[in-house]
Amino acid sequence: MATILKSEAGKGIALSAPASLYVGLLVAAPLGILVAYSFWTQTYVEIDRTFTWANYSEAVNDPLVRHLLIRSIAIAGAVTFATVALAYPIAYFIAFRTQKKALWLLLITIPFWSSYLLRVFSWKLILGFNGVMNSALISIGVIQEPLTFLLYNEFAVVLTLAHAWAPFAILPIYVSLQKIDRSLLEAATDLGCNRLERFIRVTLPLTVPGIIASCLIIFIPTVGDYVTPALVGGSQGKMVANLIQVQFGAANNWPLGATLSLMAMVSVGIVAILFVLLATGLGRRIR
Amino acid sequence: MKLKTSTILGALAITGLATSALADAADLQVFDWSGYEDPGFFGAYVEKYGGPPSYTYFGSQEEAFTKLQSGFEADLAHPCSDAVRKWVAADLLQPIDTSKLTNWDKLLPQIKEVDGITIDGTTYMVPFEWGNTGLIYRTDMISGDDISLQLLADPAYQGKIAIPDAASSAYALAALATGVSSYTDMSDEEFQKASDFLRAIHPNVRFYWSDAGQLDQALASGEVEMGWGWNQSELNLIWNETPAVMMRDVNKGIATWVCGYVHLKSSKQPVEQVYDMLNALTSEASGKYIIESWGYAHSNADAFKSADQELIETYGFADVDSFFEGSLFFDAVKPELEAKMLKEFERIKAGF
Repeated sequence: MATILKSEAGKGIALSAPASLYVGLLVAAPLGILVAYSFWTQTYVEIDRTFTWANYSEAVNDPLVRHLLIRSIAIAGAVTFATVALAYPIAYFIAFRTQKKALWLLLITIPFWSSYLLRVFSWKLILGFNGVMNSALISIGVIQEPLTFLLYNEFAVVLTLAHAWAPFAILPIYVSLQKIDRSLLEAATDLGCNRLERFIRVTLPLTVPGIIASCLIIFIPTVGDYVTPALVGGSQGKMVANLIQVQFGAANNWPLGATLSLMAMVSVGIVAILFVLLATGLGRRIR
Repeated sequence: MKLKTSTILGALAITGLATSALADAADLQVFDWSGYEDPGFFGAYVEKYGGPPSYTYFGSQEEAFTKLQSGFEADLAHPCSDAVRKWVAADLLQPIDTSKLTNWDKLLPQIKEVDGITIDGTTYMVPFEWGNTGLIYRTDMISGDDISLQLLADPAYQGKIAIPDAASSAYALAALATGVSSYTDMSDEEFQKASDFLRAIHPNVRFYWSDAGQLDQALASGEVEMGWGWNQSELNLIWNETPAVMMRDVNKGIATWVCGYVHLKSSKQPVEQVYDMLNALTSEASGKYIIESWGYAHSNADAFKSADQELIETYGFADVDSFFEGSLFFDAVKPELEAKMLKEFERIKAGF
């Protein structure tokens, strides 16, 4: 028995070794360097490797960092909410209402055939001052002057990101809907549930894991997005990643950039854990 | 492997010429902004080596600096004068031997004195092209009499202006608008005044532009009515037949930038080949070409005589001397001041 276990464990280790090595070299090691940098300082082009908390005290006491972190989390939260809320009906449709599942899944991935930058620029064309939206509204006489609130603000950032991340929300929710045993739904109907009750008390709780997965997949990367706010965020839509990018670029202050990155990671981690606890709790309660 | 890669690159760059000559020409590595691989800029080099050098591109000087510092190797690079002090401090550059430059004496004398071209008597950069950064405005929306840098702060222009997402350029604008004596060495009080100016115009800023095309398009559509930008934007607007010009009055405030080529320490090619390239770049023919086809000013004084005078007038370089006397130069800002600018600019952009 012991030998089997031993060899099983051995197999396990052998199987996971390539992945562990890969993750170790390309995730853990850079993360270690990042942590090390955050305790150093830089003046002009020289890195001073004396241990110091200076970057942390600077970042923690700076209202700008707090402001940008909160704004980033709020924007990412809005993106997550919008994306998941819009993705759920589509996933539901594919899982329950159509026979051509493969075709629909293919259609959903089509945006990924083009570069993300191109998609951001397409939104600029649509939302721009003399863009598709404004031109259309002016030509049908709804507005006289082009609307300026469409582009260069937080709204534009949320809209662009929500579009870009939609497939990442649809697929996990679709999988969790697909897994639902159809006889459970029949049983609910037999026991007197109407369609709404059946959805709320059976379907929705069973898809909570899919919803949580979608939320995390979207929330975590969008907090750190910097291309989208840089291109469509204008003067009000900057996020924390833009500040981090400045530290690694123009400001040439890698240690402070490393500190800000770690702070962003920790904040995201805390928010994500709280969310998972809350969502699992809620999922249990409705059931 | 290296030889093979460069041969392929060379073959890609110009097909149809003898392979032996190609390898030679393409062995020279130039680290440049995209677009500068235009063979019109270095005709003499192509003639001598039978092909162009190999190009690698960067999008911003900061990106280039980071890449070079982490070990990227090339023979020549193309920063602007304000970056040179930092690059020298990071030990990236070799001094330029001006005796090997056949066109050195023909270069505009004032340009050779720009900080960064020469530092403490040592020349580090061969100036290539220069131009202005200034206030570009729509002449059909704002009259030439009313235009001024202070107009940027006018509440009537809410959401109607754009300035660069670059601290140094924004502070140059603020320094000119608030009448600071020295942009590179502001006193605390002057720095405060300049920051206050940027804060005052923040509510009017539609966006902080990060690529010039964004500014061009917004000015062309009328989304913004004035913007702080490069002469390249003005040219694009002229070619697009948009009624827009750059405010070129040195008394109202305009800045001048100079960019050029530096000899990197990581250079592996023979010095002769490197200087052949530098000489080709600074020749009168290249200057005439860049002035006429690109609308940029060149460092070679003779190029201004041989280029089409009407075009020079249109592109705003008729009175070269006035820029050198009256405009603000993008010199290297003192490192401490630069750090302060960057920090404060981030706060201003976030509305603090």
